Amino acid sequence: MRGQDDRQAYDRGTSLFSPDGRLYQVEYAREAVKRGGASVGVRASDGVVLAAERRVRSPLLEARSIEKLHKIDEHNGVASAGHVADARQLVEEARQTAQVEQLSYDQPITPEQLTTEVSEHVQEFTQAGHTRPFGAALLVGGYVEGTPQLFETDPSGTSYEWQATAIGGNSDEIENTLESEYDPEISIADASGLAASVLTDEEENDPETVAVAVIDEAGYRTLEREEIDDLL
Amino acid sequence: METETGQETTVQKTGTTTVGLVTADGVVLAADRRTSLGGQFVSNKQSIKIEQVHPTAAVTLSGSVGAGQAFIRQLRSTANLYEARRGEPMDMDALAQTAGRLLRGTRSMPVLGGVDGDGPRAFQIDPAGGVLEDTYTASGSGMQLATGALERLYEEDLTLSEGVSVAAEAVESAMERDTASGNGITVARITPEDVMIDSYTDSTEVA
Repeated sequence: MRGQDDRQAYDRGTSLFSPDGRLYQVEYAREAVKRGGASVGVRASDGVVLAAERRVRSPLLEARSIEKLHKIDEHNGVASAGHVADARQLVEEARQTAQVEQLSYDQPITPEQLTTEVSEHVQEFTQAGHTRPFGAALLVGGYVEGTPQLFETDPSGTSYEWQATAIGGNSDEIENTLESEYDPEISIADASGLAASVLTDEEENDPETVAVAVIDEAGYRTLEREEIDDLL
Repeated sequence: METETGQETTVQKTGTTTVGLVTADGVVLAADRRTSLGGQFVSNKQSIKIEQVHPTAAVTLSGSVGAGQAFIRQLRSTANLYEARRGEPMDMDALAQTAGRLLRGTRSMPVLGGVDGDGPRAFQIDPAGGVLEDTYTASGSGMQLATGALERLYEEDLTLSEGVSVAAEAVESAMERDTASGNGITVARITPEDVMIDSYTDSTEVA
């Protein structure tokens, strides 16, 4: 490795640290998340809203086949960003984890516990040999026993709790907007409007380009096209 | 408790009487202290058949002693792991569900009692994994005798100390006529704060 550029030497495997303590493959995986469309989560006083940007690259593509919002169980949903196929694997892990909780303890899993367990799974892929990290990040939103919660897990397997946040492309700019617009007392209806508006172009306001799911007392539900149109 | 003889292996069984009941201030569990071999020979006169498994929950032991002890160790470690991982103790529904799962296929029939956010709760768990919540319940060879006493003595909204008297009297009634039960009483007082387990030589000592 001597004489070579540090990056080339230390970005070959995920289980190899660079001399300055970085895991390049994990950092590259974070970049993969940024390449796709954005997803947004907003915690309201009475539920959580998840929304995802749909990049419809051809007028022939059915927009509804771009699936970035996923129902995990009655009480929890996930919005993904990054590699769709990687995200689907994590969604499957989350769904099984939710059922195991119900089977073991006869109780719905909280978004916090769900995120913890999915994050543990993600972390294993940054340390085991012959694997690559997941090129996807998730927002986990849920409403269990009267408590709305919103969490994020990233390709390193680190989790964070948020009031409102964005993952994926353009997420820094969206976060800035959320920081100035967010109010902790926001209702689920206003939170839906906020989530949809930060993801759509102000001039076009095309409801085909955004998907919205709400999780509240009544459970997980995705909004119809007309409902999103009303929000915009 | 009781031990089966005349088989290839000798299994200690709880011929026991154990009861559990819900009061306004907490849960009371009570059990006798006899372990016997096949109901023929008293193999232990100072058994403690109630064990704490959770900060505010305990179970009684009845059925096979070995199965019961293994069950208690597993239930306790599950409750400890759950609390360490999540920073809050299991609620009684989760604990009862776990107890039912661990008990499937064993020869033990405990009563589970505990206090959680929903207040004092008691459950009968059966060896097929059945979980039934109740306000008062009994298990073991003296369960018919004890249940008869409970039917007469139990009332809703007893205080904890009234509940202790009722539970002790129910076990005492069974000890009078069930040959596999006897040798004193163990009582667990479970409140929202903690679990206290005390043993007595007979029911008149139980305060």
